[in-house]
Amino acid sequence: MDRNGIVMRCTLALTAFLAAGCAAQQSPQSQSQAQSQSQSQSQIFIEPKVAEMPAHPLPFKGRLVEGDPQEVPPAVAMSLSSNSPVTFTYREELTHDDYREPKYITAFDPATLIGSPVGEVGVTAFASLSISDGDRILGDYTAKEHVSKSYSIYSQVTHKEVDDAARAAVRRRIDEKLFSDEARLAQAVAGAGKSPTASIGQ
Amino acid sequence: MNRARLLLLFGVAIHMIGCAVQGAPFERVSPPPAHAVIYVYRPYEYFGSGLKPEVTCGEDTVRIGPGGYHAFIVPADQKVTCTTHSDLAADEVEIHTSTRVTYLREDIGWGLTGVAAIQSNGQPHLNPIDSDAAQTEIQSCCVQEQPEQQTQQTP
Repeated sequence: MDRNGIVMRCTLALTAFLAAGCAAQQSPQSQSQAQSQSQSQSQIFIEPKVAEMPAHPLPFKGRLVEGDPQEVPPAVAMSLSSNSPVTFTYREELTHDDYREPKYITAFDPATLIGSPVGEVGVTAFASLSISDGDRILGDYTAKEHVSKSYSIYSQVTHKEVDDAARAAVRRRIDEKLFSDEARLAQAVAGAGKSPTASIGQ
Repeated sequence: MNRARLLLLFGVAIHMIGCAVQGAPFERVSPPPAHAVIYVYRPYEYFGSGLKPEVTCGEDTVRIGPGGYHAFIVPADQKVTCTTHSDLAADEVEIHTSTRVTYLREDIGWGLTGVAAIQSNGQPHLNPIDSDAAQTEIQSCCVQEQPEQQTQQTP
């Protein structure tokens, strides 16, 4: 075989490879195939270590002065009142730390084809709840939870579902802290206006 | 240099530049009062460069090519959902527009086609990026792209 023939074959092979990079979208048939594969694929989901505890209302009512009533810990949501002297201030913040394996590695890694993760969506949720009676802080609680979910070429994950899981986890954590401090809080609210009580933060 | 080699070089050059978006360099947008801006940008990457999945934020939908960005103007102090999808997968991010400027990086991940061949047409993602990192990245990577498809405009 002469040199020109070899170069021409290389040209054709390279062109085919490059064209694959700019390939059009695949057919619906392949989509349904991939989706059925993704459903059977188990996903690694790092559940936050939050003990299950049924949510219940707090022994006092409070008014939400900061935060969305639809997006507060369940115990707080059950204890809202528009005319209470006790106030809740709730803040929540998410930070993302997504990770993706370099494509030039995963493209040639056989593990990719058998469903090895090619990336991960990670979210850390921070939350703080402050309970006050006028100028007096009755309780101050903070929590942080990290949730991550990996994906492969067969399975997919949306940021919203991981965000929602992180929010739910951090709210459960705040609830947990509230429940463990419930008795003291009840006393503090009952004794409000009688004698000053030192605030206790968690 | 013989003809076959020239053809090879020409083919490589065409493919390497052919898929990148052309346009004006990054310019910061000042949102009108009571509005916020969501920048969605897509750094150039060869794999998947032929794909332009739809990106929707609020009521505005565009297709962003590799090396392009688009500024979505949305109402402030609201929850705005940004979505993107291909035939194979979708991603969705909920953004609270109390922050006046938000950055999302679009990334096309691997998907699997029907004949057990990996193609980069699978999984589009919208990754929220911290402002500091995003500002540096968007200025160095992306040009403003004229939307191919704009289904609805925000008022």
